[in-house]
Amino acid sequence: MSRDPQRWARVQALFHQAVDLTEGERRAFLERECGDAPEMVEEVLGLVEEDGRSDSILERELGTVADAVLDGSVPPVRVVGPYRIRRVLGRGGMGVVYLAEREDLRSLAAIKVLRDASLSPVRRDRFAREQRMLAHLVHPAIGRLYDADTLPDGTPYFVMEYVEGVPLTDYCEREAAPLRARLRLFRAVCEAVQVAHGQAVVHRDLKPSNILVTADGSPKLLDFGIAKQLEELDVPAQQTETALRLMTPAYAAPEQILGEPVGTYTDIYALGVILYELLTGRLPFDLSRRTPGQAEAVILEHEAARPSEVARAKGSSPPPGLEGIGRGAWAELDVLCLTAMHRDPERRYRTVDALVRDLDHFRAGEPLRARPDSATYRLRKLVRRQWKPLSALAAAATVVVGLVAFYTVRLARARDLAVEEAARAQRIQRFTLSLFSGGDEDVGPADSLHVVTLLDRGVHEARVLDGEPDIQAELYQTLGSIYQQLGNLDRADSLLQAALDQNRRLQGPRGTAVARSMVALGLLRLDQAQLDESEKLVREGLDDLRQTYPADHPSVIDAETALGRILQERGLYDEAVAVLDRAVQTLSGRGASQELSNTMGELANTWFYAGNLAASDSLNRVLLDMDRDLFGPRHPSVGDGLINLGAIQFQLGNYADAERFYREALDILQSYYGPDHPETASNLTMLGRALVYQGKNEEAMQALHRALAIQERVFGPVHPAVASTLNDLGVAAMQTGDMPAAEEDYRRMLSIYDAVYGPNHYLYALAQANLASVYAAEERWSDAEALFRKAVALFEETLPAGHQHTAIARIKLGHVLAKEGRWAEAEGPLVAGYEALSAQASPTVSWLTTARTDLATVYDSLGQPEKAARYRAQGADTPAVASGG
Amino acid sequence: MDCPVERPELDRLFSSTYEELKRLAASVRRDEPGETLNPTALVNEAYLKLARSLRIQPASRLHFKRIAARAMRQVLVEAARRRSAQKRGGDALMVTLDGSRDRAVECSGELLALDAALGELAELEPRQAQMVEYRFFGGFDLSETASVLGVSESTVQRDWRAARAWLGRELRRAP
Repeated sequence: MSRDPQRWARVQALFHQAVDLTEGERRAFLERECGDAPEMVEEVLGLVEEDGRSDSILERELGTVADAVLDGSVPPVRVVGPYRIRRVLGRGGMGVVYLAEREDLRSLAAIKVLRDASLSPVRRDRFAREQRMLAHLVHPAIGRLYDADTLPDGTPYFVMEYVEGVPLTDYCEREAAPLRARLRLFRAVCEAVQVAHGQAVVHRDLKPSNILVTADGSPKLLDFGIAKQLEELDVPAQQTETALRLMTPAYAAPEQILGEPVGTYTDIYALGVILYELLTGRLPFDLSRRTPGQAEAVILEHEAARPSEVARAKGSSPPPGLEGIGRGAWAELDVLCLTAMHRDPERRYRTVDALVRDLDHFRAGEPLRARPDSATYRLRKLVRRQWKPLSALAAAATVVVGLVAFYTVRLARARDLAVEEAARAQRIQRFTLSLFSGGDEDVGPADSLHVVTLLDRGVHEARVLDGEPDIQAELYQTLGSIYQQLGNLDRADSLLQAALDQNRRLQGPRGTAVARSMVALGLLRLDQAQLDESEKLVREGLDDLRQTYPADHPSVIDAETALGRILQERGLYDEAVAVLDRAVQTLSGRGASQELSNTMGELANTWFYAGNLAASDSLNRVLLDMDRDLFGPRHPSVGDGLINLGAIQFQLGNYADAERFYREALDILQSYYGPDHPETASNLTMLGRALVYQGKNEEAMQALHRALAIQERVFGPVHPAVASTLNDLGVAAMQTGDMPAAEEDYRRMLSIYDAVYGPNHYLYALAQANLASVYAAEERWSDAEALFRKAVALFEETLPAGHQHTAIARIKLGHVLAKEGRWAEAEGPLVAGYEALSAQASPTVSWLTTARTDLATVYDSLGQPEKAARYRAQGADTPAVASGG
Repeated sequence: MDCPVERPELDRLFSSTYEELKRLAASVRRDEPGETLNPTALVNEAYLKLARSLRIQPASRLHFKRIAARAMRQVLVEAARRRSAQKRGGDALMVTLDGSRDRAVECSGELLALDAALGELAELEPRQAQMVEYRFFGGFDLSETASVLGVSESTVQRDWRAARAWLGRELRRAP
């Protein structure tokens, strides 16, 4: 058949006519029409015949065709680990959820299998490691995550508690639940979320279908933390797509839509939307007929109608059970709801706890803390400080010398310090301090010779004021603090002590100036690592100040911040948080300021050391924004903030992210402090560590060598900071296989710790163990063995029982002995180390694996195959995870 | 087809659609054995996912359906090719008792023949070939087809009837 469109058109025309004719008429008609092309007759007849049939492939359902044709060679899932699949419960965006039964235990579970997310072996490790975190999340209102692992082909799956229940919003509607009941349920949900946040787990995908109300009327939250896990399964380039796939647009927070960092505040947004739905029976935005792209635009650009308006609108009725709520109550509910789901994360409730507290206030008829227009941090109204473009020299001269003049002029004024005077003096001091410690990024830090000379001159000037002892004391204190900032602790000590003594002479044992001096001296003691003395001084000072001044007086806040820092140093994190949080609350009502920044920074650090990384991260991000607004984007405070954020990521094991933050920080801090400053060194060390953990050894060593050079110069060759950097260098060297270099690094580290702490300190043992590791890597077994033995002995002496360092050292010792074939001797240390390490909450599993493997070999060689098999079996069950030691 | 989307984006949209449909179809088969595939549902699901994750939006759902129809055709044709190759390949050693494999191979052959015939029809009358593609692979109904091709429903019915007859003949003819 020729490919002639015109011909085809003609054939069709004939066909349509012929098909309506009777059979008899047809042939005649065609023969008449197709005189010039007789073959067309047969063609059209053929078409007519075909028209009468209906058995070609075109008549079939595409589904059956597809079924037949598509590759079904992959067998369906029947068994997952010890579970047998019973049926499909549902299909979600990322995979299928099955109902499964564990036959040996006759228990049910829900298993979510993530199709199309086949994990590479490296990611499998990480996946298993992360789920460990989630498995600790145990709470009656949170659906348990029992296990997570991968199928043999790398497909990940989660084993979760099987929960039967009704989605929260459906339940409330069905039961026509009154307001009290809805709020009670909602509060229970919030509590569960708060528990998770306290363990640094953010849900990220809260929505009513993830909150089931069970038969006993209590809610259970599902899918906790899975969203984060799922995000990490994809290549970073696709992460935004994955994140978007995961979200249900209606509950997605603006920062999720924009691909910005997610935190506890994101869950709070979702809780707000859920509350909105519970109160109005509707979602805040009508996204029903929009494409997801349009939905995002709506959420980002529009304000939701207030719940009170929606529920009381003409022509609509509130959800069943919610009739009869008064106008005042609705106003409060509006505030609750809209604060939680504010578009700007900083304007939401800062913690779920805060939301719960306001819920309680509401139920008790008390006023809420969140007020409709309250801006917790008035960033946009801030005036950026205008630093004089003078050099430090001139500025310092002006200030320090001018202070003398200032106070001289004030000779005539009354000596009794009123609150305003003290506050002003405080501000002057702070201005001076900040000038020296980083007010102007052009000026740079104040450790240049000129400034020091000026300070000396200032001290000299101050001595002139013998006739004005109180002013003199003030100046001594100011100068002492400046020296402290510069790191000259001895000078600071004598000055601050002199100030205190002077004030005591003037005011007696108690007085506001005395109290302030005590706080300042207390802070110095902190730097000098004399914690007891430090705390004593600060507490005394704080008590005195509190008696005289109101709670939001700058001196009081200073003292509270100082106390918070001390408690943090001591590891009393709960108390530290309590003190600092109060100070932050007090300050934040007055808008952003340097004091607020300092205090918030301490609070964020406390969270970090306490292990609440999520809280620290959230707070640090807010702080970063505030500092950028307050000081400008290249200010060292911003650099510090970036370092903190990097530290958090490092702690979470996100070394690439940590590296990114550290580099950004380095950029700022290096240009501010100069390339040879201890702060730069410290930054470089952290960067180096992040690089080492990623295996980027060359870059790591560059950074670390630079840091080392600075530290040696500034602190001298024998200093703990130097030793710490040498440790990192040793690790990097070992990773590149350069054993001689590693050995040299560790030897030096050992000698430093010997000199600084003595040979009976756990850090000395740590250096010994590291050096021994190098010997082991070089197969110098007897040297390694001897040194490991010493290290183990010293660890035992200096650390609490069952400590990780001791356990790992034992395993290393056992490993060496096993390598030498000394099976019987190897058994003891291996077993002891293994048991101690397994008992840990989050053991470093690489060493567990080593221990197991070695023990299996040992027992095989000792002719005890059952024991060997036992250890092998344990290895098979547990996912093999590689992690930093 | 005239579409408001630029060519490279169109290609990208097509690739993503293709991959998504393939993935979806395979996942349904794996996870819910015994369930017959519902292409319309697959296309819906693919649309939801892709529209969310791709930064470009097809101008309308219908526009997407057109692309999906083409993609679906490609997915199935490729699968059919693999299947019919099995007839000649090493898998011939496997004996199935219920003959389902034979049916699969037979169906694959038919699908391949349809694909070839459609190609030829496209040379005769492109719009008709498109119509068949939309209706058969894309699950378009009468009004959707008319709307997307810019003709009346009665035109669609006529053209469909003729195309169907012609294709049926071609398929019978094929070896």
